[in-house]
Amino acid sequence: MREDSVRKAVRKSYGSIAKGKQSGCCSSSCCNTITPEEVSKKIGYSDEDVNSIPEGANLGLGCGNPVALASLKEGEVVLDLGSGAGFDSFLAARRVGPKGRVIGVDMTPEMLERARKNAKKGGFENVEFRLGEIENLPVADNSIDVVISNCVINLSPEKGRVFREAYRVLRPGGRIMVSDIVLLAPLPAFLKSTASLVACVGGAALKKEYLKAMEGAGFACIRELEESVYSIDSLIDLPEVKEAIGAGKVSIDQAKGYAKNVVSMKVMAIKQPSD
Amino acid sequence: MKRRLMDILACPICKSHPLELIVFTEKDEIDEGVLLCGRCGRWYPIIETIPRMLPDDLRDATEDRGFLEKWKPHLPEGVLKGGKPFSLE
Repeated sequence: MREDSVRKAVRKSYGSIAKGKQSGCCSSSCCNTITPEEVSKKIGYSDEDVNSIPEGANLGLGCGNPVALASLKEGEVVLDLGSGAGFDSFLAARRVGPKGRVIGVDMTPEMLERARKNAKKGGFENVEFRLGEIENLPVADNSIDVVISNCVINLSPEKGRVFREAYRVLRPGGRIMVSDIVLLAPLPAFLKSTASLVACVGGAALKKEYLKAMEGAGFACIRELEESVYSIDSLIDLPEVKEAIGAGKVSIDQAKGYAKNVVSMKVMAIKQPSD
Repeated sequence: MKRRLMDILACPICKSHPLELIVFTEKDEIDEGVLLCGRCGRWYPIIETIPRMLPDDLRDATEDRGFLEKWKPHLPEGVLKGGKPFSLE
């Protein structure tokens, strides 16, 4: 898919997800019987975290960024790339307290509408949402302490640009803490469709390219904090995988093999203070 | 949108900061208004408290022109006649 059509496909699909018509990455589509709250606990959020957030903010779409959230200090200014319905933004807002603030950027109007309502419902004074694109951040240079992002950058056809923008807005000494899906080996071509893209697999980059893009943007001290394998069931449940298995093009074992190369990674890096 | 966030907002295209703010309606926060970039001439609507700061190709010309029509008396002539990416000319 071309860059432009990728962006449009992502925007359209996540618009439907916000309205409750469709499921997204790592979501209940993968595991029809479990709720967004259960998905979130499974990927490392505490009960306290999950229960402290207004109902409807957690769509269960992330791959989990609790480490980033745990690192936040009071008074910090946080930028959430691809804030969706606001789940991580609200958790971040709680950690940075009234002196800190959180800015969530998302390019899907329907998601922001939910986030805005959730902010009101939860009485969050220190969270702001804006409609914007993570490749073109509406944020001033050197103004942010921490950039967080949870299972979003994989959706961008211009990952290098996203990291350059994140670098630009971070103050010297600031940090980026990202949770995302990356690949350990290339996936077969049939997994590049819209459905796979929205499920956070089709657009995922090779891990070494992903880390190289961060380095290329100027980030230093790039450190991988955690890595876990993407759900095998989620991969096998993708329509194109089911179809390929049904048509005898791919065996179940082969499909499981692909899944082993799809991982959820948590990575952090800093913008050097001397920069 | 809260006013104190103006110190972080920048034009997503030319990255100019600070932006100019014109408020149309405000309760506990800014409900409707517009953000103007003095450098590249782009304008960004604030609708239902959310600043819409998308790049040109993700904006909807019809919606944007509707917004300009709605707030015409409150907008500077520069935006109405030559605002980017859309104006009423």
